[in-house]
Amino acid sequence: MNHKRGFAAFIAAFVFIFFFEFIWHGMLMKSSYLETASLWRSQPVFPLLMLGQAVVAFAFTGLYVSKVGVNCPVTGAGYGVVIGILCAGGDLIRLAVQPITVKILCLWIAGGLIEFALAGALVGAIYKPLSNSTVA
Amino acid sequence: MKRFVLAFIGAYVFTFLWGWLLNGVVLNDVYAETATLWRPRSEMMSLFHWIVIGQALVILAFVMIYACGFAGGGVIAGIRLGIMLEIAAIGMHLAIYAVWPYPGKLIVYGSIAGLIEMVITGAIVGAIYKPRTTASA
Repeated sequence: MNHKRGFAAFIAAFVFIFFFEFIWHGMLMKSSYLETASLWRSQPVFPLLMLGQAVVAFAFTGLYVSKVGVNCPVTGAGYGVVIGILCAGGDLIRLAVQPITVKILCLWIAGGLIEFALAGALVGAIYKPLSNSTVA
Repeated sequence: MKRFVLAFIGAYVFTFLWGWLLNGVVLNDVYAETATLWRPRSEMMSLFHWIVIGQALVILAFVMIYACGFAGGGVIAGIRLGIMLEIAAIGMHLAIYAVWPYPGKLIVYGSIAGLIEMVITGAIVGAIYKPRTTASA
C-alpha cells in the first residue's frame, strides 16, 4: 500500500466532499430545506459536520486504497457509483420514516451518486499502488 | 452468480429482521420521545415498500463490493468490509446529527447497532459468497 498517495487521495476526497456538499446542500437545495425548515436545526453544528465528512472521506478512500488500489479514474468512479447506490438505499429508508419531500429525496440520491462518482474518480486518479504491489 | 444471489438473500433476510427488532422493538421508546421527527406509524406503513427497496439496495451494494474486492477472504474479509462501511456510516451519522435535531443517544445507539449489523452482515456474505474459480489470494 502506498501510504503517501493514499493520504493525498484522502485529503483530496475530503476537500472535494466539503465543497461539493456546500454547493449541493448549502446552495442548490437551500430552497427545499427552507420549505421543510421545522425538520432541521436552525444552525448546523459545523465542527461535527466537518468531522463527519472527514470520517466518510477516510473510510471511502481507505476502502478503495486497501481493496481496489488501481490508479484509474474510471475504476474509481465505478467504485463511487456503488457507494452512491448504497447511500441511495439509506435515503429511501429515510423517506419512509421521516417527513422529507420526494424532491429532497431525489436531490439527495442524485447528489450522492454524483458526489461519490466524482470523489471516486479523484481518488482513482491520485492513488498509485507501489510498483512491487500486486494489483487485483 | 448463484452464490451472489444466495449471499444477497441471506444478508437481506438478516438486515430486515434486525431492522425490525432494533427500530420496531428495542428503540421504540427513544422514537416515541422524538415523535415530531418521524412520520406517523400509519404513514410509515403506507411507505413500507421504500424500506424494503432501500434495504435491498444497501445489501446489493454490500455484496457487489464484497464480490469485487473481498471475495475469497471468507467470514473475516466480510467482517472487515462491514467495519469499513460502518465507519463511513458513522461519519454520515455525525453529519446527520449536525443538521437534524436528533437526540445524541439515538446517534450513539444507531452507530453501535449499525456496527453489529454490518459485522454480522459481512460474516453472512463472507460465509456464503465464493468466487467462481479458485482465486489465488
